[in-house]
Amino acid sequence: MHHHNWYYGQQHILARYCGLPDDFPPRLPGYLQHGWNVGCGWNPVHEFFDGAWRFVWSDAPRRRGHSLGRRNYSVIGAPMLYLMDLEPDLGRVAEAERKGTLWFLFHGWDAPGIGAKIHGDHQRLIDEIKETETEPVTISLYYTEFDRPEVRRVYQDAGFEVVCFGTRGWNYEGTDRRFLYKQLEAFRGFKRVASNRLATAVFYGVAAGCEPAVYGDAMELEGDNPLFGGQTRISRLWPEMLGKEIDLAAARAITDDELGKRFLMPPAEMRMLFDWNQRD
Amino acid sequence: MTDVQIVRGELQPWTDTLPTGGPALLALLDDLLPPSARALIAGPHSTEVIELVAARCAAVSVLLRSVSDAQDLRPAGNVTVITGALDGLTGEFDVVIAADGLDRVLGADSPALNWPQRAALLRALSTPDALVVVGVENEFALTGLYDRRPLDERHGDDEWRPLHDDPDRPTSPAQVREALGADRLYASYTAAGAVHTLLDVEAAAATRPGRPGARLALHGLAATAAHTPLLAPLADGADAAARAGLLAAIAPGWLAVRGAGGATHTAYADGLLADLDGSQWMINGNRVPDTESVETLLFRLAAAEDVPGFRALAARLGAWADPDGPILFDDLFPDGDDFVRGFSAGVFEDQVGELLAAAYHRLRDRLLRGHRRHPWPPWMTESDDLVATWLGMSGVDATPAVLARGREIAGLLAEPAVVELDLRTVLADAETARVRAAELAGKVFGLERTLRFRDQSLRTREQQIRAVRDDLRGLRRSPAMRLHEITRKVAKIRDPRKFAGAVKRRLRKS
Repeated sequence: MHHHNWYYGQQHILARYCGLPDDFPPRLPGYLQHGWNVGCGWNPVHEFFDGAWRFVWSDAPRRRGHSLGRRNYSVIGAPMLYLMDLEPDLGRVAEAERKGTLWFLFHGWDAPGIGAKIHGDHQRLIDEIKETETEPVTISLYYTEFDRPEVRRVYQDAGFEVVCFGTRGWNYEGTDRRFLYKQLEAFRGFKRVASNRLATAVFYGVAAGCEPAVYGDAMELEGDNPLFGGQTRISRLWPEMLGKEIDLAAARAITDDELGKRFLMPPAEMRMLFDWNQRD
Repeated sequence: MTDVQIVRGELQPWTDTLPTGGPALLALLDDLLPPSARALIAGPHSTEVIELVAARCAAVSVLLRSVSDAQDLRPAGNVTVITGALDGLTGEFDVVIAADGLDRVLGADSPALNWPQRAALLRALSTPDALVVVGVENEFALTGLYDRRPLDERHGDDEWRPLHDDPDRPTSPAQVREALGADRLYASYTAAGAVHTLLDVEAAAATRPGRPGARLALHGLAATAAHTPLLAPLADGADAAARAGLLAAIAPGWLAVRGAGGATHTAYADGLLADLDGSQWMINGNRVPDTESVETLLFRLAAAEDVPGFRALAARLGAWADPDGPILFDDLFPDGDDFVRGFSAGVFEDQVGELLAAAYHRLRDRLLRGHRRHPWPPWMTESDDLVATWLGMSGVDATPAVLARGREIAGLLAEPAVVELDLRTVLADAETARVRAAELAGKVFGLERTLRFRDQSLRTREQQIRAVRDDLRGLRRSPAMRLHEITRKVAKIRDPRKFAGAVKRRLRKS
């Protein structure tokens, strides 16, 4: 029902999980959370219309949304977890063969005419990454930064491999349906996942077996709305997830919680929850 | 017409409707009544009660204030029928039964005696060690508190004096105990004259929502209120009272027993004898743990929107379910890793799948009817999808046949439909309908918005297609493409000699 549901091909993954065609997935009767979120599941100024259901990854956004006067939530678990179930072998290597760090730079966002860029000291960040990581580092840039040569080249010139997993799309156009497939495949080959902000990719990496790290200049996002508390709130709520060496058991427990692992449901149940069974 | 004795204060013409009786009262009296010499039955009681007392006592006097009611009785030989008011009767009795209470024992010509004075009259008619059974209506009953009618419309012609505006009437179990010197006290639930349920007040006070004792009380309350227009569902208030340990205090009435008599059970209900023994009940000889019902647990998980917890419990139910009888989650109690059926009986020749489907249909009905909180969207609750989802959680394949049979069984097990919905439910239904209408309007808005996105997407695709066509057209007109066309045609000539001959022939003809 909303084009955000297609971001990163999440709706496509859920359709496939339900045994339905994923080239053009059926409509969702509401909104699907598309990234890890310290608020109600969406950005602070997201619009909602009456009667739309809110499908979130975990229970915390549901509770926060309820406190904001919002109802009609269903907790379903992150689509990435369903993808991991669908693709148990994609990119998988022996545990001993995993190596290197997949390093995610906190990214800006894209929307025609209203996107936002990040600003920060990239060189200082590169120095810190080199000081910290002991194995080869691959920098993942979202296309908003990958397409900015002045950003991309800084990392390439520093000797890092730089990759981009694709675009999330806009208005049902330009969505890279393989976005999460490519990420999952990559995660399963790396030993560590790192970022300069606690973000979705870190949780995905932990879920895929990586050791996490969150350090370095968190950088500024143009027009960042701190309504939900921003970085300081994150440091209060998830201090265990911040640092260069993080306790893996704690990280996995938090990740399971934030990605809603216990809320995963079988395909038949999901088809009914999304009203995807043919009624006529 | 039976010959009757008349004492002062009889009423004529008059009749007292709905004399007190019912299977629960009969079962209690059957346990209680010792053989004795003289018994008094004061107030309107059913024929069965009179016959039971007559079978135990050598001489029975029945006092009725209505002359016609007295004349209509057809008593056994050892029964004397007296018509008149309590204040006109004299004598002394070993057994005194006033289960109907003390509100229908005076006539219009009697003095304005309050409740303690009427109780004193009854006491004066009893020997010091008499067995006395007295019913007391509770002015603080939940059924009264939730009664939609104003006070002046509740008692009809009975109140030639403001009988219920009596500050000295006992209005709690403790006050009743003190006023009557009761040795045993039951919370009493009467439906149209028939005592539906009797529950020992200690057991009623100790029980908590969802436990077998609370279920007995709730069923009794529902039976009592079957014909009362209500402000709100009784279950909500009863659950709150049970949490506070006040379930006995909000019963529609009490039945007090003073004096020695036979051993009695903790509870009596239609066909049921139940005893509370520590942490378990013995119900008609079957052990039932004194735990919260499965329905209470499932409702709690649904309200917390804890679907994984709900799924785990549903899985346990699926693993346990047996075809030994109907499954009603409000009458199913966890017992360690197992579950035990409570009060319900009956046999269905159905498989476990159908019985579980019936249980989930019933759960859905009660969840929605009670406007309880839950996490499932309307397209699931308004169809069989919710029941199918729950069945799936229990490991049952929800085929259309299983769902349909489950619906049938649930219909057979359902309580009688409420004659008149309570006010809160009516208001809540209206509000739900208003919200649903707003949500459906929002859905239309959302779908139109999606269509707009799709239209934009189509426009983008159309522009892309047109651009490709223009490029193609330009390509066709280019010299390279024309040369390619000629080359393509020339390449089709398989025999150049024949082709040259054909060209020559055509040139000659022209």
